[in-house]
Amino acid sequence: MTDYIARNRALMRFFVLPTIFLTVVLLGGVRVSSDTRDFVFLAPPLITLILAALLMVLFVRAGALDLRGWIRSDQPTLTNVSHSLLLVAVFFASAQAFNSVLPESGLFNWLFSFFFLWTLWNNQFAEFDARRLLRSLVVLFGTAFVLKHLLLAGFYGPSEGWLKKIAGVVLQGISLGTIDLPAYAPATGYISFFTLALYVAGLVLLTPAPDRHPPADGQKLIEAQPQKLSPDEQLEALRELVRAL
Amino acid sequence: MQLKLIQSGGLAWAIIYAAFIIWIYATEPRTLREVATNSQVAAGTYQVDQEKFNNALGMFRREQFRAARDEWSRADPGTQDAVTQFYIAYSFYREGWGRVYDDDTLFKQGLEAVARAISLAPNQSLRVDDPDLQLHTAAELKAELEQGTEQSLGDLNPLKVFRKRK
Repeated sequence: MTDYIARNRALMRFFVLPTIFLTVVLLGGVRVSSDTRDFVFLAPPLITLILAALLMVLFVRAGALDLRGWIRSDQPTLTNVSHSLLLVAVFFASAQAFNSVLPESGLFNWLFSFFFLWTLWNNQFAEFDARRLLRSLVVLFGTAFVLKHLLLAGFYGPSEGWLKKIAGVVLQGISLGTIDLPAYAPATGYISFFTLALYVAGLVLLTPAPDRHPPADGQKLIEAQPQKLSPDEQLEALRELVRAL
Repeated sequence: MQLKLIQSGGLAWAIIYAAFIIWIYATEPRTLREVATNSQVAAGTYQVDQEKFNNALGMFRREQFRAARDEWSRADPGTQDAVTQFYIAYSFYREGWGRVYDDDTLFKQGLEAVARAISLAPNQSLRVDDPDLQLHTAAELKAELEQGTEQSLGDLNPLKVFRKRK
């Protein structure tokens, strides 16, 4: 049983998590042109790298990532290299997650960047734990996604949507030339949704440190009253105690 | 042992995947077909579609320059073949050439194509031995196209109408 646990954890750490975060890196900058249906690959702008750096600091502060747990001198070099690569992937995945929900140009790009920066900067001084931080991030990315891919895409899209008509009536006579956005095909929104879902899933699966996991069955047994355990369960509890020592 | 294998395999996979992502953002393919073409170029297995190339050559000789260019761009979707790019440039030259004046727009596009041909050719030097052409090297074609886009007093020479297309 312990073998299975160790193997599954290793698969998660060395295969699944890097794949998830690298896929986010790949898809975060993908847009689909509305005219030609061609792919457009947008490398992460500088601001997203700054936002990702702030987010990484936040992860460390909230205990969602324990850097000293991931990279240690008492581990083999190969393990440290793998872990470093995973952390780099988390950083770039964060940058690309921001890239995915950030309007590409114009006033909205500045506004979104400012609000992301403001939120992350404020969060640096707030009391956070890993779970709260994750919830806060889901709300942050969810809101940005809705604003960009539903509201703004509806407003600036090539088709005459209801939002465009309402805005046309409300903003009659006001020039929107400076806040114009490039129009992308609806597939862009789907790609962005999948990217963000994958990013959040990756963060849920990411443990603060490689050896820190949710309590296994054995640990739960230790916490239970020993006199109520069967001989097999007592043996399992004993194994868990030895492992912990 | 098994854990070591998972770790090494995972590391190799992550490096390959990361390299693929960097490559895809560097080459910026627009379609999945372009992804495949770029992969062939990277793997060194890219080849021009010879049948389409020959069809285009036939059109070029019949002076159907636009159709020829379309067919050549399909024969060389990755714009990686120096000879194809040379012929594309030549088609711009022949279409843009005029007895009284040359079409600057077509000549500029021709210059772009011939620059691509030169950059793709080994040692930046390209010679095409086609008896139908009068300019056999990319350098000659480039010079001719450049001359066509430049403004000079020679443009006012009435004897210019007697020159011949190459």
